[in-house]
Amino acid sequence: MAKFMFLQRGGCEERPEMSPEEMQAGMKAWMDWVKNGTDEGWLLDPGSGLGGGAVVEADLTVIDGPFAESKELVGGYSVVEASDLAEACEYAKQTMKIAGGGRIEVREIASHGMPEE
Amino acid sequence: MTPSTNQLVEHFFRHESANLVAVLTRAFGIHRIDLIEDMIQAALLEAMDAWKLGGVPDNPAGWIHRVAKNRLLDALRREKTHEKALEQSGRTADAQVIGEQESNIDGWLEEEHLPDSLLRMIFVCCHPSLERKTQIALTLKTLCGFGVSEIARGLLLPAETVKKRVQRAKRSLATANVQLELPTDEELAQRLDVVHDVLYLMFNEGYSTSHGTEPIRDDICEEAARLCHLLCESRCSSPATQALLALLLFHAARLDARTDAEGAVVLLEDQNRERWDRRLIVAAQSWLTRSKTDRPSTFHFEAAIAKQHCIAASVEETDWEAIVRLYTRLIQLCDSPVYALNRAIAVGQAGDLGEAMLQLQSLGSRKDMKNYLLLDCAFARIHELDGNTREAIDCYLVALSKAVAPHEKALLESKLRKLAD
Repeated sequence: MAKFMFLQRGGCEERPEMSPEEMQAGMKAWMDWVKNGTDEGWLLDPGSGLGGGAVVEADLTVIDGPFAESKELVGGYSVVEASDLAEACEYAKQTMKIAGGGRIEVREIASHGMPEE
Repeated sequence: MTPSTNQLVEHFFRHESANLVAVLTRAFGIHRIDLIEDMIQAALLEAMDAWKLGGVPDNPAGWIHRVAKNRLLDALRREKTHEKALEQSGRTADAQVIGEQESNIDGWLEEEHLPDSLLRMIFVCCHPSLERKTQIALTLKTLCGFGVSEIARGLLLPAETVKKRVQRAKRSLATANVQLELPTDEELAQRLDVVHDVLYLMFNEGYSTSHGTEPIRDDICEEAARLCHLLCESRCSSPATQALLALLLFHAARLDARTDAEGAVVLLEDQNRERWDRRLIVAAQSWLTRSKTDRPSTFHFEAAIAKQHCIAASVEETDWEAIVRLYTRLIQLCDSPVYALNRAIAVGQAGDLGEAMLQLQSLGSRKDMKNYLLLDCAFARIHELDGNTREAIDCYLVALSKAVAPHEKALLESKLRKLAD
């Protein structure tokens, strides 16, 4: 099994004005997704949204905020376990349904542990 | 991380939003309602983000109340500091007001005290200075916690129209400096009439256009009944309030049976009466009993008529004579052509088809009934009962030519197909 990271890009800046009922429904969808993924075992870490921040350059200067265009901005992450990229993408499709916009980048987390015996 | 299994009750966010608007506006005035709503929205978003990761806390209402209150008080204090820096006028009284209201708010947010603030807000939203349509939009926004686009879908209006109505209403209430007070005993009857009207119309808006594809409309009906119930449990109610609640509950009992699996309207005669909500019918009957008075309102008669339908096993076994008598008394109280139309149908159902036809013809000569498609449907119905299928079809075709809403057209078309078989 391999680990994959879901990077949710874009979608967060266009968060439309949600009604209270929509917020409750959105939250329930998310919690159902976490429960489902955890029960089935493929969701290792539902992760979190990412807030504002800073960028440290190679010359050690610190600049405010990430610079990518908002549609490229990483808004959140999750970690899943899957046998291959195709399976991870199937999980990402489930995740997309509750993400409400943007794109999900699926990246394998390279493992550099001891070689298996 | 193990998210709590604690589930939120249905409409929790919507109702807590309404509770907070009522309490916080009571504390700081209607001219602050936009800021208050923004702070509540922010608190709800914060709750959504926090709870979807950490799970719902043990006391979710308390959590949201605290966050919303703190956000609002912070915003007000910041504003005061800013003002002070500008004016150097040392408005310590304002800081004192904020401090005083802080403890008031905590008390008002306690469960047993919440209805008091909600009642005050009902009378503000149904303020006589506002137009009826505005009162309905404002009530849905403020006391039910619906979003503008939800209200627009529910009332079949453009969202922009709803937004403007709500904004205009807030401005005009703020300009008039309307307080969140309960009406005095002297003005109660008059103020209650307005509230009854608003709740009745609000329910109708949801009911008349309600079909499977838009659950929001069922929610509107439910909300009208909820607010009416709140009134009934308070000192700000009259026998008419109780009769209105009975009426709303009798209708609500049939809501589910009014649409089929595809969301199409099912007429009373074709409804599966097994699907009527017995629990609501029993509750409605008990409110109707409690509403007894020497001076019955139109709601009393409308509720009594609805009850006759609800307790009948079928259209044929309905006590149509009793319904005709109730309509007669209703018309004595309020002479409306719509009541007269319904009475004529009941007369026909009771067996006197000739008399029913005469009454419909006299209604047909009225100018305001010319484009009323239910009149054509009523003619069709009486022809149908009389076995004149051809005439019935002709009348339904006329009705179809006047129909605008898709669900009306679909209903008439299915009626025509049945008759043509």
